[in-house]
Amino acid sequence: MDYRSIILLEARQFLRGRTILVVLVSVFILGCYGLYHGRQVRDHQETVISAIPTIEQEHTAKNISYNAGKPVGGPLYYQYFYTTNPPTPWAAFAIGQRDVNPYHLKVKMLAIEGQLYDTDLSNPVTLLAGNLDVAFVFVFLLPLVMIVFCYNTLSGEEESGVWKIVRSMPISPVRLLAMKLAVRFLTLLVLAVFLFFTAHVWLGLPVGLTSLYMGLVLFLYLLCWFSIIAWVITWQRSSGMNAVILVSIWIGLTILLPGLANTLLNSAIPVPESFETTVAQRQGYHEKWDRPVMETMERFYQVYPQYRNYPFSKDTFSYAWYYAMQLQGDEAAVHSSKTLFDKLGQRQLWANRVGYLLPTINAQQQLNHLARTDLADHISYLTAVKDYHREVREYFYPYIFRHQVTEQADWLHMPVFRPKVFAAVTLPYSSLLSLFVFTIVCGGLGWRRSRRLFVQGS
Amino acid sequence: MHFSTIRIIAVQEWQLIFRNRTALILFGVLAAILLTATGIGWQQQRQYQQQRKQYQAEVQHQWMNQPDRHPHRVAHYGYLVFRDRSPLSFFDPGLSSFAGNALFLEAHRQNTVNMSEAGFSNGMLRFGELNIAMVLQLLVPLFIFFIGFGTVAALRESQVLKLLISQGVSFTELLTGKTLGIAAVTLALFGPVVIVTMGGWLLLYQGTVSADTWLRMLLLLLVYAAYFVICAWITVLLSAISRSARGALLTLLVCWITFFIIVPKAAQTAGSNLYQAPDKIAFEHMLEAALEKEGDSHNPDDPHFKAFRDAVLRQYHVKDVKELPFNYSGYLMAEGERITARIFNIAYTDLIDTYQRQNDVAGILSFFDPYLAVRISSMSLSAADMHHYVDFQREAERYRFNMVQGLNDIHAHQIDARQNSTQRVSNKNWQRQAAFFYQPKTTGWSVRHQWVPLVACAWWVLAGILLINIVSKRIHV
Repeated sequence: MDYRSIILLEARQFLRGRTILVVLVSVFILGCYGLYHGRQVRDHQETVISAIPTIEQEHTAKNISYNAGKPVGGPLYYQYFYTTNPPTPWAAFAIGQRDVNPYHLKVKMLAIEGQLYDTDLSNPVTLLAGNLDVAFVFVFLLPLVMIVFCYNTLSGEEESGVWKIVRSMPISPVRLLAMKLAVRFLTLLVLAVFLFFTAHVWLGLPVGLTSLYMGLVLFLYLLCWFSIIAWVITWQRSSGMNAVILVSIWIGLTILLPGLANTLLNSAIPVPESFETTVAQRQGYHEKWDRPVMETMERFYQVYPQYRNYPFSKDTFSYAWYYAMQLQGDEAAVHSSKTLFDKLGQRQLWANRVGYLLPTINAQQQLNHLARTDLADHISYLTAVKDYHREVREYFYPYIFRHQVTEQADWLHMPVFRPKVFAAVTLPYSSLLSLFVFTIVCGGLGWRRSRRLFVQGS
Repeated sequence: MHFSTIRIIAVQEWQLIFRNRTALILFGVLAAILLTATGIGWQQQRQYQQQRKQYQAEVQHQWMNQPDRHPHRVAHYGYLVFRDRSPLSFFDPGLSSFAGNALFLEAHRQNTVNMSEAGFSNGMLRFGELNIAMVLQLLVPLFIFFIGFGTVAALRESQVLKLLISQGVSFTELLTGKTLGIAAVTLALFGPVVIVTMGGWLLLYQGTVSADTWLRMLLLLLVYAAYFVICAWITVLLSAISRSARGALLTLLVCWITFFIIVPKAAQTAGSNLYQAPDKIAFEHMLEAALEKEGDSHNPDDPHFKAFRDAVLRQYHVKDVKELPFNYSGYLMAEGERITARIFNIAYTDLIDTYQRQNDVAGILSFFDPYLAVRISSMSLSAADMHHYVDFQREAERYRFNMVQGLNDIHAHQIDARQNSTQRVSNKNWQRQAAFFYQPKTTGWSVRHQWVPLVACAWWVLAGILLINIVSKRIHV
């Protein structure tokens, strides 16, 4: 009997099981629901973003006509400058944090720290439940499907006495077990590839480097689970016990340990700076109303010495003073804001480190990273908004200090926010490596055990 | 139905489980996880409350120490409130991580509640949070499934079932006894652990524990006890209709994944796709449009405000606003604030209604999924659900409105119209304003707002009794 025919026989037998077919079909349907939902979320965000330029133009035109003949500082108090963080096509594949974090922000020329953390309107119950996107199906459900496929590969045969017969045959039982497992893994892989392919078609994903890296991450992730499962079933427990152990491992890796890691991380790197920033920028700006005008102006001139020689009225209200005060709000929060961003960066860094130990976190982080839906992406968006805010201020300061009126300012050529252009995706070497090491270690342990297991038996 | 038979079966089941080493190991692991989750819950609660108190006190201190100012300056200086967490959120944080924590209250506009934990967290948070409620809702049922999956199916496999039935034990007695046995074990094992966590919290809790909190705890314990009984029922029923123990386990696992992991997510995403809520841009656009229809207080020829001014002039029998016995611009400001607040409240109520409709999908599904019934009830009883979050926002908005109108009143009556922008008034005026304090809602309030899932819990208990009777008549040995 050659191995090829054994494999074919095994495959036919395995796929004939009604349960297997039901599982395959239901997971595929769930995957399709995930694709539908991901697409809904992404398309909705795109629709909202595409409506913004019109809104912005109307808003600006209205604001200018309304304030014609008045000093330019007036309309600038009302003027919103719109920024957006459009989703990549892959955001529909792994929604990540894009439902939690705002993907468009409008800011005024006032202190930015009081505007940067505004959120979108969303239903917190939905945020808590999380998204059933296709990434969830890959990261959470496919390992479970694999468990269902494999948990009794060895124990089931032992329980039914087939191994006794096999031992009397001239084939290596280890190889036979490996083949049985291979059939199961390949079945799952076919499902995964099919789902991945469907995702490309349904979500209109560009086939490119991102596809390759995503595919690599997912493949290694599934392989990693496969080796864990293969190792566990060689412990020679009963089928029921295998199921209990494997499901417990699954819960540990998908719910318990991530939950624990997240909590420890957030306690280790707390961010009271979020409140600190809020309080500091408000106080920093408002107290200036009761401070001497020139004190505030001096601070402003230290940053922008080029405006030192512009005259303005020092004993009545003036817009030069007003916007100088607003800037002081940001100055007051500079330290806490920077610390906040640093700490968020640290949280991301440590999360990646935790990922080396937990394949689930690793895979999810990488998917979010490749889809640009993670915290790091949001931080870089906020940083871009800050930069843009500075550009806008510096563009309009001359008009304010020259005491010009609304229509004298060049509104047509004011800075426009350009969503950040993505650098090419980078291959997440280290996390792929850690998945690979995981696979090798568990696979090796399984291999060792399986050899011992049949040697003793014969 | 012989109760003595039921009791014998239950006691046997009890002894059998306590002799099972795997069950005890699993319990040990779960108890350790529970205690860890408790420690985390305490620590997070303490850390957050400390931070909140510190900054809230700072804001209050700054408010009291303002120099003499123009009241409208003060209205723009505004007030910051930091959301308080309910004392029981150590047990079930509910929305805590996904709801905003800081809210800026100022004149003319209603801000969003910002600085949520989730916004400062990477994808890890989305795997789920480790807390007592999560362990009790997700893992303890799994423990029940693991210890009970073979309870009837294994008897069938080993032919003992035939023996039992031929000796005159009825299926109803058998299934009821088994259920009670498994439920009793679960309650005996986990009850003390949960009570210890709550007791420890009571000892450590700084502040007085109100009678209302005691009532909430009692109800929570009841809900979870009922939940474990329901899970035991489900385990026994599925075990009774399965041909083999392995089949029963597989069915239970598939049920767990479906009803505990997938359905809750799917229900919520389906809800949000079924009832589209406006996003911020659309919402603000709506407000602007409604406001423009109402009138524009900046425009001297605006019909609404012209009519308003004429009415005021008639009321005081004067020809010009300068002759009024108060400062008209402050008076006008108050009118503008009334209009914006009214428009906002109408739109906001609409928005929340949409969210509620989205959430009702899960509420209705709780009649088909006991996990949802308990999850929603638990959040509500811990005062950490959507209703409580919205209530906080409404209270904050009320505080904002009263603060701004109080300042507009000072503007109207103490600011001389001839020095409208330069005059300052004594800071004594607003030092009288009470600090923001959120009065927690009573248990009755929570139950009134979220009774559907509680009814669903009761319905599940009844359904179990009915199902046992139905299944008993139909199963074969």
